[in-house]
This record gives sequence, structure tokens and C-alpha cells, in this order.
Amino acid sequence: MIELKNIEKYYANKGVKSYILRHVTTSIKQGEFVSIMGPSGAGKSTLLNILGMLEEPTYGEYHFMGEDVTAMKERQRIELYRNHIGFVFQAYHLIDEMTVAENIEAPLLYKKIPGAERKSRIADVLDRFNMVAKKDLFPNQLSGGQQQLVGIARALVAQPSIILADEPTGNLQSAQAEQIMDLFKKLNQEENITILQVTHSEKNAQYGNRILTIEDGVIKEDVSVNG
Amino acid sequence: MFKLNLKIALRNLWKYKGYTSINVFGLAIGLASCILIFIFVRYQLSFDKDYANGDRIYRMVTSWKYADGNEFYSQGVPLPLPAAVRNDFSQFEKVAAIQQSSGIVKAKALPGKAEVKKSESIYYAEPSFFEIFDYKWLAGNPNQSLTAPNTVVLSEKAANTYFGDWRKAIGNTLILDNKTDFKVTGIIKDNPQNSSFPLEIIFSYVSFNSKNSKDWGSVSSSWECYVLLKKGVLLSELDKPIQQFLNKYENDKDASGKVGHTVQPLKTIHHNDNYGNFANKYMPYKQIIGLVIIGLFLLLTACINFINLATAQAISRSKEVGVRKVMGSRRKQLIWQFLSETALITFIALLLACVLSELTLPKMENLFGGDVTFSLFGHPIIFVFLLVMLVVVSFLAGLYPALIMSGFSPALAIKNKVTANAGGVGLRKTLVVVQFAITAILIIGTLVVIKQMSFIRNKSLGFDTQAISLVSLPQDSLSKLKYNGFKERLSGIKGVKNISFCSAAPSSDSNNETSFTYNSSKRVDFQANVKAVDEAYFKTFGLQLIAGRPIAKSDTIKEFVVNETLIKKLNVKNPNEAIGKIMTLWGGKGPIVGVVKDFNNYSLHEKIAPMAMFSRKSNYRGIAIKLDVADIGNTMKQVESTFNTMFPDYVYENEFFDENLKGFYETEQIMGTLFKVFASVVIFISFIGLFGLISFVATQRTKEIAIRKVLGASNLELIKMLNNSFLWMVLIANMVAWPVAYIFVKNWLAGFEYRIDLSIWPFIFAMLISMSITIITVTLRSYRAAKANTIDALKYE
Repeated sequence: MIELKNIEKYYANKGVKSYILRHVTTSIKQGEFVSIMGPSGAGKSTLLNILGMLEEPTYGEYHFMGEDVTAMKERQRIELYRNHIGFVFQAYHLIDEMTVAENIEAPLLYKKIPGAERKSRIADVLDRFNMVAKKDLFPNQLSGGQQQLVGIARALVAQPSIILADEPTGNLQSAQAEQIMDLFKKLNQEENITILQVTHSEKNAQYGNRILTIEDGVIKEDVSVNG
Repeated sequence: MFKLNLKIALRNLWKYKGYTSINVFGLAIGLASCILIFIFVRYQLSFDKDYANGDRIYRMVTSWKYADGNEFYSQGVPLPLPAAVRNDFSQFEKVAAIQQSSGIVKAKALPGKAEVKKSESIYYAEPSFFEIFDYKWLAGNPNQSLTAPNTVVLSEKAANTYFGDWRKAIGNTLILDNKTDFKVTGIIKDNPQNSSFPLEIIFSYVSFNSKNSKDWGSVSSSWECYVLLKKGVLLSELDKPIQQFLNKYENDKDASGKVGHTVQPLKTIHHNDNYGNFANKYMPYKQIIGLVIIGLFLLLTACINFINLATAQAISRSKEVGVRKVMGSRRKQLIWQFLSETALITFIALLLACVLSELTLPKMENLFGGDVTFSLFGHPIIFVFLLVMLVVVSFLAGLYPALIMSGFSPALAIKNKVTANAGGVGLRKTLVVVQFAITAILIIGTLVVIKQMSFIRNKSLGFDTQAISLVSLPQDSLSKLKYNGFKERLSGIKGVKNISFCSAAPSSDSNNETSFTYNSSKRVDFQANVKAVDEAYFKTFGLQLIAGRPIAKSDTIKEFVVNETLIKKLNVKNPNEAIGKIMTLWGGKGPIVGVVKDFNNYSLHEKIAPMAMFSRKSNYRGIAIKLDVADIGNTMKQVESTFNTMFPDYVYENEFFDENLKGFYETEQIMGTLFKVFASVVIFISFIGLFGLISFVATQRTKEIAIRKVLGASNLELIKMLNNSFLWMVLIANMVAWPVAYIFVKNWLAGFEYRIDLSIWPFIFAMLISMSITIITVTLRSYRAAKANTIDALKYE
């Protein structure tokens, strides 16, 4: 599904190149649950951003579902966002002015899904996440864990093939974190959604079936986990 | 999608109530001013536009060019001109003469209706006038109603006044000047307010006394002539025939000026101040353009405000932009989203603006002394204007912020790393400089206008204006015989100090010019402004003689008093030299007995003319009464009752001289008021905008402020730091504004012959005002920022 070949990313400052990522080559298959680990500043988030096409690599090739991402036009990339990629953020990033239901509806609007289907899909997702009662609340009326659930619901409602999550439990207490990680695992196993998460926590990484460890911009380890 | 975005927009507006109200209010005030200016300009431009053949209607006008470079213009033509034009020009389809006059109009008492007697402006018009101008006739028609002598056509309003109901008017009789009976033969629909033709009472031209005059030498502004150009005739085709016409008729070798006639398009009659018009209402294009510029300035400052506040606010929206982008929103969609938000705000502001302008409309009517009624939605064009404003302002104010916000990189936006500079601090600063430059220009303009107006009010005109009442007198020969008796009875009234018969007050809009001889039999190469006055005139108006004495009592021309300008123009150095020299003028001959100190005989727009004054009873039009200030009201009541017993068939009309003079500067008064109002609006809007910007800067620099505080900066030092950059901007803005304002103000003042010297003070003052406003605003807001809790600012990362 994802092919990375020799990805490099550096910032040039007064002729001195400071590398974030070096010679990153890897591939991720459909249905994998990959955790990216490593110390602060190692380049985990940059890698995830490149995977999410939020940043462009300085060098290297990136194929997403067989297509060359670096050669893609903005319009095509937006189509990928709409149909294949769901984002989950550490700080949830719900739109404050939208209710829970509206937050979940937003990506469907961009996908131009007709009203009736939107309603049923939102109802479906709310039901699955046990949030029907909270659908008219605003994000600031929810706890962190609940907000992250909405965040995941929002990522899922568009039925993506991959979810990119940047420290999804970083702001949560451990009980809530566990709940979220269980949800990811379930989604991965039952619906065969590819999941890519950046995490600091060894424990969270164990939920997945593969761990990529990055240090100083280089992949140090690539091990599979048999959970 | 649209519905959701609308909801989001409303929630956002509600969330940032402060910003929203600043935005909406600032914009609403700007828009309201623009609406008012639009209504005003639309009214001024709508004059005389409602005639079917409007674009083919022209007025014949007259001009004189003198050897000394002076030019004079008149809307009038010599009396024999219309007939000659009809005869000589094949290019005109119709030619019509119309004369303005005044008289006492009376309708006899009818059953159930008392007698009505009024002093009115009346007209004598040829039937063809109504073929050129397509008035709506309620009864009668031009070809029948105005062909016979002693017939009169009334407007609906006049007919209602004299006969109770216009339907009863036809066939009834009006009596003019207590002498002649006229039969009402037609009723026309009333003229709208926006007409240069306030025709109420129109007599048939064949009843006009001087209709057969062959005198090409005299022109009165009341004698007008209109022509209807044949279809397809170009104006340039008239050049040659007009030249031939002038050679044929205006060939008086002795005339001191060169006479010319041209055609003036109907649509410029309201706007060309070289010529007058029957309605005496003008609005030169220059002033309209001035107002439109002010309107654009207002709109611009309001939009700048909006841009500043919106870009400042943009940071808080960056997360939303990022999230929307990763959900698959295109940039174009985001741009439309933000633009429609702006449109929403503009729409709300526009509604508020409509309310505001509705509330201010009566004030604007007052400016015109209640002559005009304005209504917000009186003309459908206003809706087009509102729609255009909505679109223009939405784009002008919304496009830039929308481009900025939709351009945020999602990676940075999601990480909350969009820097505050994203909004283009440089551009925002430029906008504030522009805004403050506009403010400074208007402040300077207003100060100069106020100063010039008070200069005019307080300038000594060379004569007394206080407590002088001008009463007009009937002109018929019988009444003339009673003049002296009237004067005697008036002097018996307690509170009357001086009484003088005269043709006009020292400064008046009724002026006569004529050629004359001085100390030889040859005519002098310039004309003198003449006034027929009696011996008491100089004392009544407090005119000072610098040589000789006032004229002696007489009913005909016996002696002359001239002014300084006249003898200067004749190159007489010493006023005493002029005494005893013989003058001839208007067929009268006599010595100069006195030289009067120069006084302003026109408005201060114009130079003092050479003048000659003499006694001539047949030219006295009124009586000037100098009153004791103590009990004016009572004295005037006695004057009125004396008038009514002496001249029972006439209508008492009285004007106070000082109020009469104010009329000269009505346009300036209106413009001055508009200037003051709009300048304060602009100042207010800029103030709001500045407040918004400093709020933003304070937020943007919260962390910097906190760190500086930790390092030991005092609140005062912090406030100073924030003030500094703004003061520089205001300083630059003033530097930009000065030359522009100088050009504007210089041009405006050039319209006055007597004007203030342009000093540096208005400029300095404008700078001080804008600086102190800045300091106050910035200090208010930055004090809050400086006092904020340091920890709050530093703990976020």
C-alpha cells in the first residue's frame, strides 16, 4: 500500500543542512498496524507528516497505492484525503464551533455524500462509539478521551483505508488511552483498516503488529510484534 | 455544506463578540455614510432628467468678454432673441421664450372660501415651452391654454391654494398686481423637488408687457429661452449658424464687451454655476465629486479596518483551516467559506447601516432647510446600490483575509505553529498608514473649512449687517406716490433708527451693471455696478465715505457717489481728485460728490466691483430699516401693520439682512457640515481599527511581553515599547497626508476671493490629534497586555 524509497528531509540553514530524515526506505502493506517509535526529535512526526502528504520530502520516492505522490497535483492529493486517509491528532483538533455531530459530518460534506446517507452514517458511527447522547454537545463540553473518540469517529466516517495517528493518546489518562488503543486494534482486526501511529509508549506499541524505531532520522529497527 | 458553514460563521461571530461588534459597527457607520452620500448625490444628479426629449433640450445663454480679461455670464438673453432664433435657425425644432417675474396674485373670495392674496414668482411662457418640456396636463393643453392674452395656467398646488381644489379653478379669475384679470385655462401637474423649473403660475406670453421689445442691448437673468434641437443634429453643426447669428444681431460697435450666445444642455443647468436658474439651486459637479471621494475614503477605511481585524483574527482560525484541509477541503472552498462569512458580516452591517441612515436622513433634510425630503427606499436604484456595496465590500474586505487563511499549511496549522506573521504584518502596517493618512487629510480639510467659514462670518464686509430689515415695496406708480408718506409714518415708530429707500442692499444677489462716462464724453472701457439709493443709505448701512459727502435728497439722478475700486480703475490716485468730476450714466448727468470706502458688494467668492450710487426714485425696490436691537419683534409688528394700512392690496415681505447674507454661503455651509460629520466618522472608524490592530499585536507579543517582564521590564516600559511602533506609523501617515491635503485645501480656498492664509497649524494640529488618539488607544489596550499574568503566557507551548 505504501512504498517509501530513500526518503530524505533536511532544512538548509546558511549552507548547513540539518537532516530530519535520512535514507528512509520501507513499505507498509494493507491491513498492517504499525507503530513508529523513537526519542523526541528523531523525526517520527515528520515521517508521519510525509506519509500524510502534509509535508514533502526533499528527496526520495513515495508511492501511495501504486501512485507517485511526489508527482501528484494538489487536486489528486485532496481526493486521497477525501477517500483514503483519516487523520487522528494528539490534540484532537475538533472544530470548536461545530457540535459533535457536525464535526463528524464535515468530511462527508467534502466527499459530497448525499444528505440521507450522511445522516445514517453519522447515526451509525455515533451508535458504535456510544455517543448518541452527546451528539449536540460542543467539543469543550467533552472530556479529552471523549474528544479523541469523536476525532477517531470523524476519521472513520469517511471509510478510509488508512488512519494516520500522531500520538493519539498523548494527552489522555491511561484508562482512556487503553480504550482508544483497543478501538484501534479492533478496527485493524475487524475492518482491515491500515493504522499508522506515532507513539512514545512501549505499551501502546504492543497493540500493533509492527514497530518501526527511528533515531536521528534513520530507521534503526523494524520488528514485528506477535500480540 | 452552505448551511453548515453559515452556522459555523454565526457561531464564530458570536464567539468573538468583541471583534464582531467592532467590525460590524465600524463597517455599518462607513456604509451608512456611503448610503447617505449616495442618496444625496442621486438627488443632485436627478435634476431635470424626467423630460422625454431631455437630451435635445438646450438653453440659449449669454456671455460678455471684456478687454481687461473679465468675463460675465448670464442665463438670460435679450428679449428679441427667441423670435430671431426661431426665424434664423433651421436646426431647432422648437424655440420658446419664458420670463420670470414677480407680482401680487389675488383670487377673489369664492363661496365657502376666503380671498387669497400672495406675492409670488410668476412666469410668462410661450405655448411652445410646454411642447419642449412634456409636462403632464390635468386640464387644458399648451396650444389652447396659453395662446390668448390674459390667460394663466396653474400648477396643481397653486390651483389648490387659490381655489381650494384645482378642479374648480378652470374658468376662474386671478388678478395680477391688482390691475389685470387672467382667466385660468389650464392645470399642470406639480414639479418634483428635483427640478430647476419651479413653475407655479404661468401667464401666456402674449400678456407680457415687453414682448415686442427690439432692444438687443439689455439682458436680464429672468429672460430665458429654450430650444429643442432637431433629431440627429450635432452640436458642432451649430457653430457656424451661431456665429452668423451673432454677426447679424450683436454688432453694436460701442458695446464695451463682446457679446456671445451659446446653447447650454438641459442636464447641466443644475450643475453649472456660471449661469443661474429659476429655482436658484445648484450643485457644481466639483462638489459632487468631492463628496464621492469622501465616500470612497470612508468605504476604504472601513474595509481596511475589516482586513486588519480579520487577518489579526486569522491565527485563531488556523486550526480549523488545517483540519478542514486534511478532511479534503480545497483551497477554493475555504476561500468561498471565508468570503461568505465576510458577506454575512457585511450584510448585517448593511442592515444596521440602513437603520442608521434612516435615523440621520431628517438631519440631512434640515441641512437643506427642509426644502427636500429624502427617503431611504424612495428609489429602486438604492437596492442596486446596496447590492453593489455588499459585493464590493465583501470582496474588498474579505478577499485578502480569505487568501491568507486558506493558504495556511495544514502541517503547521495542526501543530499550532502558524506564526502570527502569516497575516502579513507589513501589509497590515501599510493599511494602517493609509487609513491614518486619510484621517489626517480629512482632519486638515475640516479644520481649514471651519476656519474659512468663521473667517467669512466675521470678516468685516465694510457695512453694517445687524438689525437691518429689508422690506420690499410695491412698484406701481400709484404706490410710488405713497413712498414718502410711508417713510414718514415709519420714522414715527419707536425703535426705528434709520430708514433708506434703495434698489438693493450693499451686498445682494440682485445686481445691475452699466457703462458710463467719466469726465469726458467717451465711455469708460469697463462697467460699473449701480445702486439707486437715497441720502440716508450710507448712514443706515454704516458705509464710510473717504472723501466728499453723501448724495443730496432727490428723486432723479443729480449726484454720484462712487467707490474706491472705481476710481482706482480710472487711475485716480487721490479720492479728492474725483470729487466734482462729471459722470453720465443711465441718461443722467451729475458731479461725483463722494467716494465711499470699498465694501463687498458680492459674496466673498468674488472681488469688489467698481460701483456708482445715485438717487432715482423709480428704481427703488424696497426700504431698509435700521432697528434698535432692544425690541425688534415689536417694532417689526408695527412696521407690518403700517405697511398693510398703506398698501392694502399688497403683501408684506420682510427679510433680515444678516440672514439674507448667509444665503450666499449655503453650499459652503452644507459642505462644511458634511465635512465635519464625515471627518468624525472616519476618525472614529480609524480609532476602532487601531484598537483592533493593537489588540492583535498585544496578543501576538504576549509571550515576548511576558519574557520581558520576567527579565524586569516595568509596565510603563512595555506600554512605551508598544506605543513606539504605532507612533512611527502615524508620523509617516501624516507625512503622506500633508501634501495631498495641501493640494485639496488650496484648491478649495481658491474658490474664495477673500480667504484665510493657509498656515501650518491645521497640519500640525491634525498630527497632534491623530497622535494623541493613537497614544490613548494603544495605551488602553497595551496596559491590559502588560498587566496580564506572566505565567499564563509562558506555560503554553
